[in-house]
Amino acid sequence: MHPTRTGAAIVLDTLESLGVETVFGYPGGAIMPLYDALYDHRMRHVLVRHEAAAIFAASGYARSTGRTGVCIATSGPGATNLVTGIVDAMMDNVPLVALTGQVRTTVMGTDAFQEVDVAAITHAVTKRNVVVRSIDRIEPAIRAAFRLASGPRPGPVLVDLPTDVLRAVSESVAQIHVDHERTERKPLADPRSLDAAVSALQGAKRPVLIVGGGARWSGATAVFRAVASRIGAPIAATLHGLGCAHHDDPAFLGMLGMHGWKRANLAVANADVIVALGMRFDDRVTGDPAKFAPNAHTIIHADIDASEFNKVVRAQIPLHGDLRETLVALDHRLARVTLPSFADWRAQACAQDEQLPRDDARDEHLSATDFLDALLAALPADAIVTTDVGQHQMWAAQRVRANHPQHFLTSGGLGSMGFGLPAAIGAQMAHPDRMVVAIVGDGGFQMSMAELATLRRHELPVKIVLLDNRNLGMVRQWQELFYNARYSATSLPDNPEFTTIARAYGIEARIVDHASAIGGAVARLLESPGPMLLHCACYPHENVWPIIPSGKSVDDLLEAIPA
Amino acid sequence: MRTVTATDGRMLARIIHLAHRFGCTYTKVASERNGAAYHMELAFAGPGDALRRLDAHITKLLDDDGETME
Repeated sequence: MHPTRTGAAIVLDTLESLGVETVFGYPGGAIMPLYDALYDHRMRHVLVRHEAAAIFAASGYARSTGRTGVCIATSGPGATNLVTGIVDAMMDNVPLVALTGQVRTTVMGTDAFQEVDVAAITHAVTKRNVVVRSIDRIEPAIRAAFRLASGPRPGPVLVDLPTDVLRAVSESVAQIHVDHERTERKPLADPRSLDAAVSALQGAKRPVLIVGGGARWSGATAVFRAVASRIGAPIAATLHGLGCAHHDDPAFLGMLGMHGWKRANLAVANADVIVALGMRFDDRVTGDPAKFAPNAHTIIHADIDASEFNKVVRAQIPLHGDLRETLVALDHRLARVTLPSFADWRAQACAQDEQLPRDDARDEHLSATDFLDALLAALPADAIVTTDVGQHQMWAAQRVRANHPQHFLTSGGLGSMGFGLPAAIGAQMAHPDRMVVAIVGDGGFQMSMAELATLRRHELPVKIVLLDNRNLGMVRQWQELFYNARYSATSLPDNPEFTTIARAYGIEARIVDHASAIGGAVARLLESPGPMLLHCACYPHENVWPIIPSGKSVDDLLEAIPA
Repeated sequence: MRTVTATDGRMLARIIHLAHRFGCTYTKVASERNGAAYHMELAFAGPGDALRRLDAHITKLLDDDGETME
């Protein structure tokens, strides 16, 4: 008699054979067979309190490791609650596999209880998705999902699993092949284009390197640093490129774009050659594309995805290929030529605005930026910082001292509030011995606050820094600047006692509300052995400076409220 | 005119959604199934940059379609 396995057991065995140790999920009717199989399986399952947190946690796991994250939800509302996280992963190129339960195949299409066509819903926002209609297709579908999710340009893949397929029994002997995630089919940049890039650099007077999230996903951090050192040009980073250059590299100008450092934006504006590496010229980076890098006669754009070329900004030299391989090839070529010295240009570009502009009037209140300056300076070098979305996110991005792109995790393309805490949970599960800090605002935290229970259950020592300005601060700032200070639906004077809530979940909580208490509060936070919430009661009207208004250029940069 | 061969029969819908997203319209759509594959003939109208972007996206989608999931 042959051993038998259910479809659900095949799912778990296949995941395990692919190296998956941890999954994040929430059970429900159609996915119950999979949860029944989990009951006595080695797979570690993290029960969250909302499916959106499951996929954000899987995203934090993936972003902090480079490995594919896995989340599980049931059919209907469970599946639809994943959609924001799926889009988030699509926009930020995060390798994720979402497993959803589905009603049994015999009732699909009949509007059965908790039936939704999640494959149709997510068709435009996944790399691929599939409804698995027979038990023999489970393993091939999951293996294909992992290959697709992890490369060449990573992203989310959804596998929809009808409940009868999960319950079905296979009599075939299990044949699980160890098939680690492949990174195949990577294109290599055209040698002539690489030669042209070298020539452009040889003729350059004011080159600037811009590094983006592609460096993270291609594992190009080390070779990027080598190439950047060889060229000697100033370096700017996109939000997802932070950490690719060492934060204290004297050539590093900081983040580029709407809330980037003025010197980074000015350097790009004055550059004659731009070397854009694994970035997609997001509108938050370029502002008005017609005014982006107006003095650059040559833009060299390296990307794995050919559809990114000339999408927003025209590149004279596209380098289509895996970024790491492209940089290795570029490094070999650069080693054989002599580049002009860009030392004077680098010094000029880096000399400007060594301090970020900030609001002065704070009365006796706590400044969020003062707090972040102290916190980020005190973190261990290998700490992982996650953020939510809004003012605190930009303040953190301006200041973070990331030494590696996997040290700073944030929702960039989609800008999903509620990301910070669950992403920290995922990162902490992947890195139990490292410090993980979730920097969140009072708006976003209240979208995922129930995950305090997940912290408690798994004894995850995540440090939550809640920058509470009793406002949806970024929207409030835009209302102040661009909507005649008409503060529509952005005030949160009725925020709860966050420390009381945290303690109700069994989590240590403290409050800091004055500048003189910052040092002690940071020290207490970092010394705490377990999870902790630090509620920072901040000055409510502090703004993020500088700002280049949407669709404008560095010429329109603001460093304070216009007089 | 672009000829597309895909294993995922829903590819046609995805391409048409993309075309509209990019500000293009389709001027011809023809599709037939042949064995496990769908053969499509598609023609679009729209701004040159958008058509080039659409073409690049179709290529990317077809690359991912190379993985057999069903």
